[in-house]
Amino acid sequence: MTVEVCGMSGDGTIAAGGLLNEALSRAGFSILAFDSYPAEIRGFGRCVTRSRVGDEEMLALSDRTHVLISLDDEQSQSRIPFLAKNSAVFFDNNPPSYIPEERSIASHVEPGTDLFGIPLADLATRAAGSARGKNLTALGGFAAVFGVPLEPFQEVIKKKFMPKGEKVAEANLKSFEAGYAYALKTFSDRLKKIFVPAKKAKGPEKVLLSGNVAISQAALDAGLELYFGYPITPATPIMEYLAKALPERGGRLVQMEDEISSIGAVLGSFFAGKRAMTATSGPGFALMTELITHGIMAEIPAVIINAQRGGPATGLPTKTEQSDLHSAVFGGPGDSPRIVIAPTNVSECYSYTLKSFQLAEKYQTPVVVLPDFFLNNRVENVPLPSASEGEKADGNIYPDKALKGKYTRFEITESGISPRSIPGMEGYNFSTTGLEHTERGIPNYSPENHMMMTEKRHRKIRSALTDLPAPVEFSSGGKLDVGVIAWGSTFGSALEAVNRAQEKGFKVGALKITSLFPYHADIIRGFMDRCEEVLIPELNFEGQLANLLGHLHRKDVLRLNRTTGIPFPVSAILEKIEEILGETKR
Amino acid sequence: MTEEHFVIIGNGPAGNQAAVTLREKVPEARVTMIDKESTGCYKPNLLPEYVVGKVSEDKLYISPLDFYKAKGIKLRLGQKVIDVNFKGKEITLDHKEVIRFSGLILALGGRPRIPEPLHPFEDLMFTLKTIADARRWIQELGKVESVLIIGGDLTSFAVAKALLHLGKKVSFILDEDAFWPVRYNKEIYEQAAHQLTQKGVKVLACRKLKGVLRRSEHSLQVQVDDRKIEVGMVGAFFGLVPDVKFLTRSGLQIERGVLVDEYLNTGFEGVYAAGDCAEIYHPEIRDYWVSIGYDNAVNLGRIAALNMAGGKVQADVEPESIFFVKDIRANISWWMEF
Repeated sequence: MTVEVCGMSGDGTIAAGGLLNEALSRAGFSILAFDSYPAEIRGFGRCVTRSRVGDEEMLALSDRTHVLISLDDEQSQSRIPFLAKNSAVFFDNNPPSYIPEERSIASHVEPGTDLFGIPLADLATRAAGSARGKNLTALGGFAAVFGVPLEPFQEVIKKKFMPKGEKVAEANLKSFEAGYAYALKTFSDRLKKIFVPAKKAKGPEKVLLSGNVAISQAALDAGLELYFGYPITPATPIMEYLAKALPERGGRLVQMEDEISSIGAVLGSFFAGKRAMTATSGPGFALMTELITHGIMAEIPAVIINAQRGGPATGLPTKTEQSDLHSAVFGGPGDSPRIVIAPTNVSECYSYTLKSFQLAEKYQTPVVVLPDFFLNNRVENVPLPSASEGEKADGNIYPDKALKGKYTRFEITESGISPRSIPGMEGYNFSTTGLEHTERGIPNYSPENHMMMTEKRHRKIRSALTDLPAPVEFSSGGKLDVGVIAWGSTFGSALEAVNRAQEKGFKVGALKITSLFPYHADIIRGFMDRCEEVLIPELNFEGQLANLLGHLHRKDVLRLNRTTGIPFPVSAILEKIEEILGETKR
Repeated sequence: MTEEHFVIIGNGPAGNQAAVTLREKVPEARVTMIDKESTGCYKPNLLPEYVVGKVSEDKLYISPLDFYKAKGIKLRLGQKVIDVNFKGKEITLDHKEVIRFSGLILALGGRPRIPEPLHPFEDLMFTLKTIADARRWIQELGKVESVLIIGGDLTSFAVAKALLHLGKKVSFILDEDAFWPVRYNKEIYEQAAHQLTQKGVKVLACRKLKGVLRRSEHSLQVQVDDRKIEVGMVGAFFGLVPDVKFLTRSGLQIERGVLVDEYLNTGFEGVYAAGDCAEIYHPEIRDYWVSIGYDNAVNLGRIAALNMAGGKVQADVEPESIFFVKDIRANISWWMEF
């Protein structure tokens, strides 16, 4: 089921959602959660946290909400159209003054909705001397009605507030317990207890991670030494996390004056043999593109996280979109091939960020990791990620000792990879430049040289395919009536839609694409050849993945594009599949 | 021009019929129906059969919830009215919401009545007024073999019949005060006792029910006069009392129920009462009468709505069909065939 907390900015909505996720995760449930908040810093605007809770791995958010915890009735009214039938709504039934019908959440819910009125502010004030804890009082009410044990909530409340002092932690605990006791008594004949019995998650230990934390932790595990960046939503939490964690490990984080200097410093670090990273979003990435192509031309590694948000320009800073694919793959001057990989869940945020350092070093090129807002900001409880020694290892291919004194930095090779020297390696000196150059790094604009070096750079990137994650098919094999190809956060929705369609007896399959450039054309074409129709749902208007891959199919691929700023609804993909199947049968 | 907003408090047969009638007669008005119960309108007379599995839950409901949305009737379930300002035309709900109305129909129904001497044992007795009550009966009946019914209102006979169908041992204490607001006379008592006995119900003579004790998880001990009776569960059926306590200081004239004229008007402009909660003036007999039963409730709900919509319809009942015993006049629309 899906639980939402909704309030006004400043109500403690996001904090309540976070505590809810952590407590339910501790109780043994699988979680996929996502927050939505205004672009403005504080003081006004609607905040919503959505948590899908269950006993199996979650692929996507659900379209419908089963429990709404309202911290502000006027704001929460906007969530009512998304409520499932027979949902439960928790709200403050003793506001400071009498309210007219149009402002009451109770007047807007559909019949059949289970209303749980709790004097949230009163209880919090009585328990802890301040109404500020009403968000925790509401969580207490939820826990009592749904039979979630107290302990996991008490643990996470202590963990969150103890750093602010014992009194603060105690006050918040009291607010929570007041809501719990009130609900247990008041709603004794309406307790739901629909949860499966609390149990510990099977298999490996699980931790609750956001995409941003997974990316940050992966960079640290990869041995990140330097981070350069400029704050921008939704990438800022990466910088915040590393600002604390990186110096503790002997690394340095510098807030630069802009994104241009950030990528410049990352290239400089890698040039000197140090692992470095920057994280930005679309507008910042646009500023970086010239220097990214400098890295391509001069064959310098770099790791860039482009956390996509709604665009163009400043666009929709706190909304999700997948509209930077074109700029990630093609952005910048000239023929400038680079590696672009896109995770589809929190675990992949970790594994792909980790992998990007070795890829950047081995292929001596900027690597763009391309999550989207929904991935960056959502939290999942995932098996505790860790990196093996092999995954952390230096990815550089160094020149043979026999070449000492005869080193050619940009030597033409079959794979396009020229063994790399780090400045300071005695006997392996070289020149480098952003100008077109010869194998020895000397500027040269002759037609033959430019053609040869351009081809070398492209051959190198193509050869990276052997190290890049191949597309993964989810089907029973054979001929398919509809094949759905998806990337990024949309893949989870696509797979859930395909699973549901398969349950209905439809012959459909899904293909997950995580390597956007270069991409595994043969595998993708093989999948498309077995599909009567190919559908590519994306959170962009132009159908950017469809544009990239469409030429591989014998006929036009079908597109499903949304620019709503919210994660792709499973139902929209399922409806499209059914619509296509209806047309196919006719 | 201000939009007309008709509010009905109560989602029982009277309220439901009033809402549907208002929607038909005044299509442009807002119609809101509020009830503290969380379920849609159902037929309470079917509850005994639902309890023993002869009727499925979906058959209890008069209309699915979607029906009201389609009709443009705002249904607010599980929400409790705590005050009405009849002059100011405002209703206050228990979560401090204030609703303005231009017309109001009180169709509050009743709640099970337990005579005062039995209050100490109330927790050990089952009543059957709501679906929630019915669910409790279903749960308990799975554990016990015998049921003692005390009282003797209309529902009690239907329950006894249903329990016999289920194969339970049924005993009965007929209380002359059971059929509120009407008291049994000797003739009715004997007729009812005879019918019950013939069907296999053990009718117990009782001057005074002294107490109910829990003996074990599935066993109760009932002290009747000087005897002790062991039973699985006890059902209490002493009629209903109008659910009007929250209106006692509102300015309405309330006796056993809300006093209304023959047009069901309460005396406040645009405020009507219908169903079990109304005591209705009859100009011919120059007295108030009450109605009991599903058909009566539906009829009164319709009349209240027609009058709210500008009509002048009298709650018409033939004087001879009014049940008259000991100062109380009642029109009973369904006397079960036992």
